[in-house]
Amino acid sequence: MRLENVWSRYHRRGPWVLRGVDVRIGPGEVAVVLGRNGVGKSTLLQVAAGVLRPARGRVTDRPGRVGWVPERFPADQPFTVARYLTGMGRTAGLDRAAADEAVTAWTDRLGLAAFRAVRLPELSKGTAQKVGIAQAMLRPPGLLVLDEPWEGLDATTRELVPELIDEVLAAGGAVLVSDHRGETVRLPGARRWTVADGAVTEETSLPEGAVAVIEVAVPTARAAGTVARLRAEGHQVLRVRTDARPAPPPARPGGDDPAPDDPAPDDPAPDDPVAVDGADVAVDSAAGEAR
Amino acid sequence: MIALVRLRLAGFLRTGRAVAPLLAGLVAFGILYGGGRAQPAEAYGVSAVVLFPVLAWQTKILLDVEPDVQRRLAQVTVGVARERLAGLLGAGVAALVAVAVALAFPWLVGGVTGPVDPTDRSVPVGVALGLWVHLLVVPAAVALGALASRASVGGAGYGVAVLALGGVGTVVLGLTGSVVPWLAPPIMAAARTTAGDAAAVTLLGLTAWALAWSAAAVGGYLWRRRARG
Repeated sequence: MRLENVWSRYHRRGPWVLRGVDVRIGPGEVAVVLGRNGVGKSTLLQVAAGVLRPARGRVTDRPGRVGWVPERFPADQPFTVARYLTGMGRTAGLDRAAADEAVTAWTDRLGLAAFRAVRLPELSKGTAQKVGIAQAMLRPPGLLVLDEPWEGLDATTRELVPELIDEVLAAGGAVLVSDHRGETVRLPGARRWTVADGAVTEETSLPEGAVAVIEVAVPTARAAGTVARLRAEGHQVLRVRTDARPAPPPARPGGDDPAPDDPAPDDPAPDDPVAVDGADVAVDSAAGEAR
Repeated sequence: MIALVRLRLAGFLRTGRAVAPLLAGLVAFGILYGGGRAQPAEAYGVSAVVLFPVLAWQTKILLDVEPDVQRRLAQVTVGVARERLAGLLGAGVAALVAVAVALAFPWLVGGVTGPVDPTDRSVPVGVALGLWVHLLVVPAAVALGALASRASVGGAGYGVAVLALGGVGTVVLGLTGSVVPWLAPPIMAAARTTAGDAAAVTLLGLTAWALAWSAAAVGGYLWRRRARG
């Protein structure tokens, strides 16, 4: 999808919020939209989602199915959570059975199961936000637009948002997400668009082939199997260690030799001493794979 | 899109905001038919004039029930054109229900009578003319209500002004001898036709006029929606 020379404002004689914005995002990519309050992040997201029509310029190649999570979910509606989500699922083109199935799946996953029969106006802000996320995910979107999705969410659901983003990307979708709370540190492979003075600039902090290191703790008995599975998925396993303390920065691929007390990274035998309680596996992954 | 129509109608009914125009319509019909009995065509002509502003108001309420952000969510889900069309269709369905009530009401309260004179129209013809004039009201009222909706005009004050202007203007500009009757939908002219000579060509002409006016008003609504983003 591409925004070509997009200009946007809210009134005919009002100030321009976006001025000649040119950005593009492809399948499998996520972009974080950053900027001060009131600078136009939501406007950019709404133009991308198709909520706002640009005054000038155009949006091309927008995926057919768009999921939009607004900054504030409109909870002032006379429906229960289940009735609303089912209605939105049907509106999105799902048949009755598929809509019911999707609603059950997403309410379970987002911790909304206990609220299915609760009317929307009675929900807390965070719970209403979860309903907003659920309605966007009922049909897998080709473009997912999240406007401050972490706002008001509990810790468990905050952790879930990157998972959802990952799933959309894995299915070939694209994701735009705004954030002013620093939560997008959870998206290490994301492109970063900064909105200021009506313009959008992309930070190029990640060099070509940048990698991220993820430390994963697994039960000792599953260490060997986890290593094998990670390698099968194309990740590079840097080392396996037996203490649960955070590891020092590992050697970069192709850089210095591993520390002398580390096992050889590419060849841990199944009967290696990793099979000890509290074993950790440090995985070095390409940035794009670490989302 | 049908699912969106159903969702919007459900919201309209569940908020209870459907009650106000329904009560207003019933009170107006009570007054209309409380004064004595009339033959169907004549009674229905006046009923349609009374129903016009009620349906326009009902349409505005139905379109305004949905929060703005929810309307945008629907737009993202089904696309711009279908979102607009779903609102108009929902209002049209609600208007048809009101028309059914309006057609049944005089029979329930004994407000109509059969032919008195041999030259009077038969009851079936009178009812058919009544159905025609009420159906003529529906697109015009829906279009006026849509023009007055929040999504079209923004503030509530402007919406009330559009409704009042449209309702009063339809009556005033529709009076016999009006210089610019075509500025309003032909509700008054249709009512006069039901009470007088209802030639086929007249009915066709009035139908075309009503549809053209409604199309222009819907065009104005869509233009306002587009202009407001």
